[in-house]
Amino acid sequence: MTAASQAERTVLEDEFNWLLKEEVHAVLKQLQDILKEASRRFSMLTPGLEGQLKQENFILGSSTMDQVKGVLTLQGEALTQADINIKVAKSSQVLHFAFRDDKQWKLQQIQDARNHVNQALHLLNSRDESYHFKTGAEVNKLMDAVMLQLTRARNRLTTPATMTLPELATSGLMKMFSPAMPGDVMVNFYINLSKLCLVVYQLHVLQPNTTKNFKPAGSSVLHNPGAMFEINNAKFEVSHVHKVECVVPWLNDTLVFFTISLQLCQQLKDKISVFSSFWNYRPF
Amino acid sequence: MSGNSLVLPIVLWGRRAPTHCISSLLVMDDFATIITGCHDGQICIWDMTPELEISPRALLFGHTASITCLSKASMGSDKQYLVSASESGEMCLWDVSDGRCIEFTKLACAHTGIQFYQFTIGTQREGRLLCHGHYPEILVMDATSLEVLYSLVSKISPDWISSMSIIRSHRTQEDTVVAVSVTGILKVWIITADVSRMQDVDPVFEEESKPIYCQSCQSISFCTFTQLSLLVVCAKYWRVFDAGDYSLLCSVPSENDQAWTGGDFIAADKVIIWTEDGCSYIYKLPPSCLPASEHFRSDVGKTKESSIPPLVYSIADCADKQLLICPPVTRFFYGRREPFHKLLVQGDSAGRLSLWSIPETSPLQPLSSAAELQVSSTISLQEAFDKLAPRPAGIIDQLSVLPGSEEPIKVTASVYIPAQGRLVCGREDGSIILVPATQTAIVQLLQGEHMLRRGWPPHRTLRGHRNKVTCLLYPHQVSARYDQRSLVSGGVDFSVIVWDIFTGEMKHIFCVHGGEITQLLVPPENCSTRVSHCVCSVASDHSVGLLSLRERKCIMLASRHLFPIQVIKWRPCDDYLVVGCSDGSVYVWQMDTGALDRCVMGITAVEILNACDELAPAAVDALNHPAVNLKQAMTRRSLAALKNMAQHKLQTLATNLLAADNADKGNLPKYSHNALVVQAMKTNVTDSDMHVLFFDVEAVIIQLLTEEAQRPNPTLVSPETLQKAPGGADKGGSLLASKIFKQVKETIKENIKEHLLDEDEEEEEEMRRREEKSKSLSLLEYNLTMDTAKLFMSCLHAWGLNGSLDEVCLSRLGMLKPHTPISFGLISRGGHMSLMLPTFKESLLRRLALAEPEEAGGRKLSVSEIVGKGTYGVSRAVTTQHLLSVISLANTLMGMTNATFVGEHMKKAPTRPPRPGTPETLRKSGPPPPTSSPALQAQIKQGWSQLAAMHCVMLPDLLGLEKFRPPLLEMLARRWQDRCLEVREAAQALLLAELRRIGQSGRKDTIDMWAPYLPQYVDTVSSHPPLPSPTDTLRPPQVPPHPSQPSPAPPFDPPAWTLFHFLSFLPLHPSLSSPVVLGQSG
Repeated sequence: MTAASQAERTVLEDEFNWLLKEEVHAVLKQLQDILKEASRRFSMLTPGLEGQLKQENFILGSSTMDQVKGVLTLQGEALTQADINIKVAKSSQVLHFAFRDDKQWKLQQIQDARNHVNQALHLLNSRDESYHFKTGAEVNKLMDAVMLQLTRARNRLTTPATMTLPELATSGLMKMFSPAMPGDVMVNFYINLSKLCLVVYQLHVLQPNTTKNFKPAGSSVLHNPGAMFEINNAKFEVSHVHKVECVVPWLNDTLVFFTISLQLCQQLKDKISVFSSFWNYRPF
Repeated sequence: MSGNSLVLPIVLWGRRAPTHCISSLLVMDDFATIITGCHDGQICIWDMTPELEISPRALLFGHTASITCLSKASMGSDKQYLVSASESGEMCLWDVSDGRCIEFTKLACAHTGIQFYQFTIGTQREGRLLCHGHYPEILVMDATSLEVLYSLVSKISPDWISSMSIIRSHRTQEDTVVAVSVTGILKVWIITADVSRMQDVDPVFEEESKPIYCQSCQSISFCTFTQLSLLVVCAKYWRVFDAGDYSLLCSVPSENDQAWTGGDFIAADKVIIWTEDGCSYIYKLPPSCLPASEHFRSDVGKTKESSIPPLVYSIADCADKQLLICPPVTRFFYGRREPFHKLLVQGDSAGRLSLWSIPETSPLQPLSSAAELQVSSTISLQEAFDKLAPRPAGIIDQLSVLPGSEEPIKVTASVYIPAQGRLVCGREDGSIILVPATQTAIVQLLQGEHMLRRGWPPHRTLRGHRNKVTCLLYPHQVSARYDQRSLVSGGVDFSVIVWDIFTGEMKHIFCVHGGEITQLLVPPENCSTRVSHCVCSVASDHSVGLLSLRERKCIMLASRHLFPIQVIKWRPCDDYLVVGCSDGSVYVWQMDTGALDRCVMGITAVEILNACDELAPAAVDALNHPAVNLKQAMTRRSLAALKNMAQHKLQTLATNLLAADNADKGNLPKYSHNALVVQAMKTNVTDSDMHVLFFDVEAVIIQLLTEEAQRPNPTLVSPETLQKAPGGADKGGSLLASKIFKQVKETIKENIKEHLLDEDEEEEEEMRRREEKSKSLSLLEYNLTMDTAKLFMSCLHAWGLNGSLDEVCLSRLGMLKPHTPISFGLISRGGHMSLMLPTFKESLLRRLALAEPEEAGGRKLSVSEIVGKGTYGVSRAVTTQHLLSVISLANTLMGMTNATFVGEHMKKAPTRPPRPGTPETLRKSGPPPPTSSPALQAQIKQGWSQLAAMHCVMLPDLLGLEKFRPPLLEMLARRWQDRCLEVREAAQALLLAELRRIGQSGRKDTIDMWAPYLPQYVDTVSSHPPLPSPTDTLRPPQVPPHPSQPSPAPPFDPPAWTLFHFLSFLPLHPSLSSPVVLGQSG
């Protein structure tokens, strides 16, 4: 890689100007279209009903075990209805819980993802066709900001929050059900990738002066049987964990959109960096 | 402060100011300081005069991601605190005066806004921080401990809060928090005294929730003039609301497609609104928005879009927009005290601050054409650097200025080899320079005969890269398994080159990557033999290579990652190389076969990365962000320093043992010169390197003492020195250590002897040959310890206060005067660091000029006046650190034989024939002082003693109280039992001097301030008869006195205890009535 000749430099400069003038806007337009599509997925309206978000029902179950079955209604970012059936192993008794009518549970992951996408869109909207990019650094900065939002949006869906068991026990979710959840059952909802997950923990109380080594479990997305925790001076151990899930198609779409847009952004950055390595003495 | 060791940084900034792309800004309440945060995570403190002149003072390091918001965190003007939050969820509390980090924390979510709020219950005042960001609540934190106390929660459609304002009510104890969510819903919370007091209780729900249909709200502000209206600025319109019932008073759309980014009230009837591209407009509000007008609320419920109100002023962005790479940040600040400035402040991506002073009156011309308001003051970091004469020095500037060019060649990568005291600098033109670090630093910082020599200090240039060198690695420093001759460099020409640093030979060029090399790493210890002789290279084409230095070939190339590589981790036992990419995906590669084992995302990816951490925490390496590297380097550096300390102790002991009965001292092992560590830093990847010299005072002292003990001619050693040296080293260690040392003494002695004598003869032979061969090419050898001490003492001495002492320092002690004010730094908790910018003196000088206008106006301040004195007027923490260092070192040098920095003993190796072009006369400027003369020895000792005495007791008088920031008592008290005897003695002497200086009233104040933090039973001690009882004048300190303990100090806090204990017995202390005994008190 010897120093580029003068003619070569001129060609490169022309090419770089084309990149800034044409290609960048083409990519930005493409990005905007994709992200608009992604953003639209988060607020699908019910056809016919004005301003009403579309309601979708999901049946969560697994083919191998039937101890837990859930029917959840998702409306935008909120779970508006939930019916959970739990078969208790030893007594073959079936417990049934449903959301109280006045309550709904917001899935923070979806709200965060939606807000991050909208912020990314806002950033892109501020640089429309009429804007003239002058330096590669400017494009890089914009791409960095957009990619940060997109990575956050995707990460919110791909990495659910980890929680400790006492956090889960005291969360508002336990108070949402009717009939009230018994003390030895806990539930949790979260999104993992494009799947809506329901986890049911069955607990048994440990004797206060138990000989067993008590070691409280840390935070985790999904706790394993045997995890222990203490709340209100009572000690519990997780005896059974049931996890059921169901794919939410539009979440899958958004994840694909995020991945494509991230790759577009990175490719644009890579293109710019190719030019910057030719002119080391110019601030690109 | 930073653990236990006393480490002082000195910065060589170079001519290019660091990149400072401003992301947030804040004007402190006193209108004397402006704070800016940048996208790379640094915070800049700017000083502002009442005439609105600004100059940058210091740069604060610690955040690893873009600064999202800044807020003040204290109310009083005596102690100003600042809180900063970054994109990655870090929060940090800083002391504005000296840039110390007082507290830091990290949350999972990022804040986008913080507001300080002080509430009062009775006489008690407590600070709270209200934070909002990428989460649906408003978190309320304690302003000193940064703990989340409770949160303000929405019941109805909770969503992220985009902006927030606090409405203070003077009538009731209730304050109102008004916020707008991203979906355009106005939320109101009431904070009552009950709410403020509670901790750990249920969240507070909103009082009111009202949709105001303000999409993408940018800011909300409350009119402090009328207390009756609210301004909400959205991207495409701004609106005024009634602050009582939140009804819409007027709505103004933006013109010509501009995007508004914020606004504020500047008077009861005027608002200022600014746009994304940096323009601002002042509008006169329509009568329907003015509570004073009879038309107030006349339009409620009627209009949706009002017409555009009359424009009073327009303020265009003055800066050259060509260079801007992202939208500037604009804010309005209104001074509540003299001189009541109304300031519009703007910071842009070029590190430029612009100020506009908003006039009270409207222009006289007709309102149809808005008057343009001229900028009051503007400066960028680079301009501030350019104004300085001489220009801020870079570490090898004198070697880098090409003939015919003004600017030195940029240093783009550097590595310091402590074992040889050498700095390796890779430059923009592809050359690599090897240079003795202390020598080159002396050239840059100090005046001396070296200024006349061209090409000084002797250096070596390695040429091989075709273009910019991007990274350098000296593998032997990381692990002893590598050959100590190899140096590895990577460049933008895609190549990695292996060099022999002794011969300067290019050993091999690896060309395996398809992009610029961005990072070079060393695999961990327990890898397979094949891999353990490799270095790992990362390139910008998203590939990772394992390059075997032994086989001279690339044994694995992991490429085709879709995103830039952010982190490399290792699973040596499984033979896995784990690559983390910037998009969160993780690739697991088999090192031996080069097969991709798996590629994962999401939870699994996080788990794999975490699992690697558990196995080998040392192998973590975040690559992408320079600040991450910096922070890691900082923490690692101090760890390494600690480790080295332990080794030094052993070596010191061993040396002394051997010295006692071994006449042949030529064989003694050499020490690594870690008294000085040079760390290259850059705030942004595109910047050139700046260099920070870290001086470890303790290590300098130990090395000096060790060398003293090693002195070849015992007749020269005075008996007291002999006594002192081993004594000092022994006492330096802990009490327990000395006991153990005695037991293992013999064993160690044997071991060392064995190690020294039973070395493989052949290898020794080879080494000797190699050394002989390399000698001809090696650089001039220096006594590194003395050189380091010389550099350090010359930088620390307060020049220009005592003419005769300065003369003694120059001629007798061999110190040199600095060219320019030295930019020191301050290391605080958790590797946070504050570095003074080269312009830090500007504001001090201005302050001096103000203090004595007739003097400063008449003549220009002399160079020595600018250069000297300064650091003792910066801040109390800086003074403490510097005084401790200078006094402990002076005391150490006083105890040494021939402790002067002039003369032949400074050169270790026999002098080589003078370099061509170097005049012989310069080399020997004067006859070398006869080292054996006892009279001269006494003069040198006296010189050091005078130096110590001046810094210990005379400084406040010489400088004058207004220019002197006295040392902090609690910091001195902490060193009362320092493990290093010299530091301990210096701390004790300083503490005594300071306590005497502050007099009885000052001591009483100190006791009063500390009393509430002490255990109860101390009161019986403190009510000791000679003392005025502190209990009757007990008042709560406004802020916790020791910054390292923001929460009330635990009852058995040692420094508080020591200090208090000491204070209580003080009046009886005999030394207070006699001059403080300096020097060897043992």
